[in-house]
Amino acid sequence: MSALNYSRRHFLRTAGIAGGGLVVGFSLSGCSASEIPLQPLADAYAPNAFLQLTPDNVIRFYCPRDEMGQGVTTGLATCVAEELDIDPAHLLIELAGAHADYGNPDFGGMQGTGGSTSIKAHYLQLRQVGADTRALLLSAAASDLGIDLASLTTANGAVVANGERMPYGQFIATAADLEVPVATPLKADSDFKYIGKEFPRLDGIAKSTGTAIYGIDVDIPGMHHALVKRSPVAGGTVASFDGSAALAMSGVTDVVEIASGVAVVAAKFWQAKQALAAVVVAWDFPPLSSVDSAKVRADYEQLMDSPEGESAESAGELERGFAGAQGVVEGRYWAPYLAHAPMEPMNAVIKIEGDKAELWSGTQGPGIAQGLVARYAGLDKENVTVHQTYLGGAFGRRATLTHVIEATQVALEAKKPIHLLWTREDDIKSGVYRPASLMNIKAGLDDNGKIVAWAAKRVGGNITPGTLRAALPGVMPAAVSDGVVDWVVGLASDVMDGWVVDPSSTEGLYEDYDLPNREVLHVTKNHGVPLTFWRSVGHSFTAFAKESLVDELVEQSALDAVDFRLRNTEHNPRLHNVIQLAGEKMRAMRPEAGRYLGFAAHGSFNSYVAEVAEISIDNDRIRVHKVLCVVDCGLAINPDIVVSQMEGAVMYGLTAALHGDLNLEGGVFKESNFHDYPIVRMNEAPAIEVVIVPSSEAPTGVGEPGLPPIAPAVANAVFAATGKRLRALPLRLT
Amino acid sequence: MIEFTLNSKSVRTDDAPDTPLLWAVRDTFKLKGSKYGCGAGLCGACTMHVDGQAVRTCVLPIGAVAGKAVITIEGLGTPENLHPLQAAWAEQSVPQCGYCQSGQIMSAAAFLADNPTPSEAELESAMAGNICRCGCYPRIKKAILSVAEAGAKAAELGTEVSA
Ligand code: FES
Ligand code: FES
Repeated sequence: MSALNYSRRHFLRTAGIAGGGLVVGFSLSGCSASEIPLQPLADAYAPNAFLQLTPDNVIRFYCPRDEMGQGVTTGLATCVAEELDIDPAHLLIELAGAHADYGNPDFGGMQGTGGSTSIKAHYLQLRQVGADTRALLLSAAASDLGIDLASLTTANGAVVANGERMPYGQFIATAADLEVPVATPLKADSDFKYIGKEFPRLDGIAKSTGTAIYGIDVDIPGMHHALVKRSPVAGGTVASFDGSAALAMSGVTDVVEIASGVAVVAAKFWQAKQALAAVVVAWDFPPLSSVDSAKVRADYEQLMDSPEGESAESAGELERGFAGAQGVVEGRYWAPYLAHAPMEPMNAVIKIEGDKAELWSGTQGPGIAQGLVARYAGLDKENVTVHQTYLGGAFGRRATLTHVIEATQVALEAKKPIHLLWTREDDIKSGVYRPASLMNIKAGLDDNGKIVAWAAKRVGGNITPGTLRAALPGVMPAAVSDGVVDWVVGLASDVMDGWVVDPSSTEGLYEDYDLPNREVLHVTKNHGVPLTFWRSVGHSFTAFAKESLVDELVEQSALDAVDFRLRNTEHNPRLHNVIQLAGEKMRAMRPEAGRYLGFAAHGSFNSYVAEVAEISIDNDRIRVHKVLCVVDCGLAINPDIVVSQMEGAVMYGLTAALHGDLNLEGGVFKESNFHDYPIVRMNEAPAIEVVIVPSSEAPTGVGEPGLPPIAPAVANAVFAATGKRLRALPLRLT
Repeated sequence: MIEFTLNSKSVRTDDAPDTPLLWAVRDTFKLKGSKYGCGAGLCGACTMHVDGQAVRTCVLPIGAVAGKAVITIEGLGTPENLHPLQAAWAEQSVPQCGYCQSGQIMSAAAFLADNPTPSEAELESAMAGNICRCGCYPRIKKAILSVAEAGAKAAELGTEVSA
């Protein structure tokens, strides 16, 4: 919000008047050269990219982050509404399309939603937007009413003067002629009316009546349905195909080859689905086609046993640490490949006409989607409109937008508006995955129960490069040629795959405890499986290794699971505190006979979580009855949504802990749908108690941090129950 | 040509009889509230009522619903006129991504109609056919029980139960 924008704002205001409506806009990034992002509505006034007001006091909030279930529309609306002084329920929430002003401040301004950053990144920014807009409306009211500014106040969407309420909309004509104030002082926390208070999430009714629109629901005139037959082995390409039988089937209009395989286009989904089965494709397979899961594991074991490894982290003197240790414990942990399996499979709807395109899709990166359509359709980005929809779950999956490229290519070939949908089988078998990981930790303990040496090593694929590889063609400027993009993509991948340790690969292996002498090594090894972020990313596997090993250290020490962790978290006060709180609660728990408790704690995405799992073993089956979750995520904007995110993360993590397992056979994932890739269901779901640590610290991550501790908490409970250490996920007693 | 009633209106379609009801409803009748999640009867996202029974419509050919009464989430209630389950869902902030919730609510509505005062165990097993990847289970359970309780109270008082 720099003064630099003034002249452009002035220009736009003039332009707005000329167009009949009244619109101003400015770039919050301060460096955007593009047009204002909003579709100006008739008579509306937009003081910035996020708000648009009409004379009848309809106030639209353009939510810059993507709603995938985490409640971000409610959370961010609350931030802006708090300072604007209006009940968040009165805001009309729109999902913002692609534009630089909707960049994520935590991602260097790139328009992406992930990494549990949304609230943390926009908390102050959107409060500022609300405060500046309120100050502007007050000035306009003072001028309209001829009343001293100091005697005016606001209440729930209205200016109040001498006890009379006048809706904000009444003052927008005057407001449009004033300069939008900047750096208006924000409320004191103690004055909050909505932040930190409980009220139902704002998308609840839409999502309970089937009226919320997801990408899959978009239906535009002339739209045809497309499905794609992809190589069963990732990276395979079409050698030849025969689509004649499919083309002859009812409703089918086109059978076309695209980069990822062969697409069938038909008037209706079911027609396309049946015809796809009749397409015969011969593939050229990459080396992955000779890889089984057993080979992945064997290769990882071999690399783990070798001295190989790049240093991801080191401090102190490891050898001296071990030399001084009274006891040494070592454990090796396995985590398999996983699919995200969001309930809504990937999809995109696209219309390309002349030099313009429109895309409808729920993604974690509308800007990337826009860039991909522009590049693959050969259009200017400015001519690609992206309509963001609700996301039927994402968990990291909707940052890789192969389906957007596919829809673009099919629409170009078939010359029709296209609705492209992945089946569940496509989702499980042809997706991008949480990498398999082998981790080894060796730790030394002194007489006082302090960890004096910590050597960790992880073998597996890197997470970031694959996602980058997929996104780069979308984020590179259009002027950069395809050849150069390919080169940069290749370079970035080589660099990441080769010698740089991707921080996502080892995050969570060492940060939580006081480890004066530590070393973390990494060996990058991927057999060609496409990898990406999966809810809580590296923490989804490192926490399992770290907290399982710590449980083994507890056994060696004279302390219990809580005191041991307390003793070793002196440098980490917020984690220390959640361990303390969860520990007190755990000591008060009185599990009935046959039930056992397990403890784990982990910091991720700037938040801290400790969990206790209460389990029983029934015919070698692990049953989780209860989970206690204590979280410190700074100030909770909407405590009830924090609770639901913790519940959700526990369930998501529990599916991984108890069931999640994808296995390669000849480079093909054997699993295909929910019968062999099971998800925790209601009859397996534990009761979950969430305790939020009261805090006035700035908000931190919420969507992911609840996940990492659950697998080790359950594994540690299984040890308490059986004396068996389960060091591989999913946890199985037989 | 197959005829049935859809949310109390009679409809007809010349979609092939083996077309799953889900796709006829979504593509032909353009009601998008019922969702596709697995296409194999495994997740419940596509649940509708056929003659009052909760059915997985991704595996139910329209040939089998000729002459029957089909109710979708759109026919259960609307934002202006919420079914008690929908009201409980919204008030208790049950949905996260929301994608599974049409199916959850349709399963719950058929279940409560059959068993207005369920035990927790009955509820858990009745709802086990509906996957929620966002893990809303504790809230789904609580919301159903709250509607059942309100229904039981209303019955005690002799008032009509709208569920
Ligand atoms: S889509 Fe019908 S049960 Fe999953
Ligand atoms: S709310 Fe997302 S799958 Fe249930």
